[in-house]
Amino acid sequence: MLLLQLTIANVKMIVRNRQALFWAMAFPLVMVVIFGLIAQDRVSTTTIAVVDYAQDDISRQLIHNLAEVESFDVDVRQDEAVAQDEIADDDLNFLIIIPRDLTSKANRTPPVEIALIYDETTQTSGVILSTVSRFLDQVNLDIAGAPARLVLAPEGILIEEFSFIDFLLPGIAVWGIMSFSVIGVATSIANYREKKILRRMLATPLKVRTFFFAQVLAYLGMALIQASLILGVGGLVYGVPITGNFLVIGLFILLGNLVFLNLGFIVGSYSKSVQAASGLGNLVVLPLLMFSGVFFPPDALPGVLTSVVQFLPLAPMVEAVRGATLEAKGFSDFPLEIGIMALWIALTSLVAVKVFRFQ
Amino acid sequence: MSEPVDEVISVESLNKRFGDLVAVDDISFSVRRGEVFGILGPNGAGKTTTLECIEGLQEPSSGRISVLGTEIARDPNTVKERIGVQLQASAYFDYLTLTEILELFGRFYSRRVPPAELLSTVGLEDKANTTVGKLSGGQQQRFTIAATLVNDPEVVFLDEPTAGLDPQARRNLWDFVQSINSQGRTIVLTTHYMEEAEFLCDRVAIMDQGRIVTLDTPTNLVRSLPVPYEVRASTLNEFSSNGLADLDCVTEVLDDQNQGFRLRSSDAASTMPALMDWVAKNDIKLTHLEVTPANLEDVFLSLTGRALRD
Repeated sequence: MLLLQLTIANVKMIVRNRQALFWAMAFPLVMVVIFGLIAQDRVSTTTIAVVDYAQDDISRQLIHNLAEVESFDVDVRQDEAVAQDEIADDDLNFLIIIPRDLTSKANRTPPVEIALIYDETTQTSGVILSTVSRFLDQVNLDIAGAPARLVLAPEGILIEEFSFIDFLLPGIAVWGIMSFSVIGVATSIANYREKKILRRMLATPLKVRTFFFAQVLAYLGMALIQASLILGVGGLVYGVPITGNFLVIGLFILLGNLVFLNLGFIVGSYSKSVQAASGLGNLVVLPLLMFSGVFFPPDALPGVLTSVVQFLPLAPMVEAVRGATLEAKGFSDFPLEIGIMALWIALTSLVAVKVFRFQ
Repeated sequence: MSEPVDEVISVESLNKRFGDLVAVDDISFSVRRGEVFGILGPNGAGKTTTLECIEGLQEPSSGRISVLGTEIARDPNTVKERIGVQLQASAYFDYLTLTEILELFGRFYSRRVPPAELLSTVGLEDKANTTVGKLSGGQQQRFTIAATLVNDPEVVFLDEPTAGLDPQARRNLWDFVQSINSQGRTIVLTTHYMEEAEFLCDRVAIMDQGRIVTLDTPTNLVRSLPVPYEVRASTLNEFSSNGLADLDCVTEVLDDQNQGFRLRSSDAASTMPALMDWVAKNDIKLTHLEVTPANLEDVFLSLTGRALRD
């Protein structure tokens, strides 16, 4: 079958173009590795230094209980001056100072003051403050011997926490696919025109649409390979939870990529040379990359921009692929995204068919 | 309308305009089965446009073209199935081997020739698994000719097949063109090398500024010139050129310097015996004598007043 043969020939040409293949496959992987390293550097526990002048039962209990809190790393210090210096130098964020004679003073008024020295610029300070004060309330109740009338029954709901790399990985995969499809198609069309290969094919009975479809099929196949490779490495090396259905992820990728292939044909049709195609292709790809939620959620953009960006072709694809990959979401979760992608496919197909010429 | 059996291409009143520019200006000609038909002319004469209109790559502004009995405008694919086209300065895919390219192009047609056979036709069988980029200029040009034959075409179009080749590679390519023609294929080629037209073509149409200024066999075209021959001689000693201009059929004495002379003659067969008599009578010793027939360059010059190449 001619379409199949032409598609295979296209895949061969894509795979043998080592430089393009590097940008398609290796470069996104490099990005994954770099962001993976950055993400690993982030510390999830907070160090709280404690200087204990009391050294009695209550203070020991206090320190013990603080250390029980999972995200606290309690560091018992002897020298207050050194700890104060560290706070000042930003080497330490929290310092608790427990005064002398805690037990003997505990039942008198005014109450004993336990100092908590902290850096106000630290983002987690609010959480720490409330945790420590809640903790002290409990101690107060215990000392007063008041029976607990109300007990909080904590029921932790496990909300899947995604790390930065988890968030990033589907975006990087989609970005790699988009760049390769737009720039790959655009430069190959420009190259074929420049070298009169398109014209040479026009002199044969080959139909324009067969050529068109073969190119699309080849790049859709490559997109699936790109996605498998990038998501696979993310999952295996960085433990990104890829819980979604591969079929759903794949279909979102194919759907979204049709837009980018059309954009590639359009850019290729307007470019006089391979260099021009590459430049113009980047001009299309870079703004989409910046604003379409690959590196940060589009909500983080200022006001109007957020709503505009949502309707660009990349954002819905990133959103859908991310949801399908990390949260096993399906088609019904993304009616808006699918609608936007379908509109873009229709629009870009019309334009591509109109502007694409063999000559 | 039925075509005469031996007429594979018929062009009637072909016009092609690009905006205000008239690229092809009302030309008509026909090509006979089995011949090598050449279109000779300077760059910009309209040769490529004419060829591309016949191949179905460009739409004529007006006129009627039929190839192998089919009107190209009406049924381009029937024509494309049966013709082979080489485009001027066209290339092929960078990342496919010669065999893969020929295989792929073969798929575009219902009738196809195995790549190995095509490559051996042009002597590239040992390059079957290399890419076009690794071939020399001459080899690339031979490959483009092999690629025109993938569908075993009856008519082959070659647009400037030897442009940019060195003389050795050009001679080599002429041999391939002749061997393709000897397989019974009709060949239509464009060129701006008059030697090429003279060597390869059975008939030549000379084009200038979108028109065909003349069309005939190369021999007849040269013979049609008023002064088709030039005679050159060198002498041992000085001589007097008295009587030289009066010899039979001599139209002009170009040069009568002390050690030789050049003449133009309308008929070398009459001039030569008279010249020998004149030499004997004046006791002149010739050290060198040559008769050169005029060429298509001279034909072009005499018809247009300009040189074929500047």
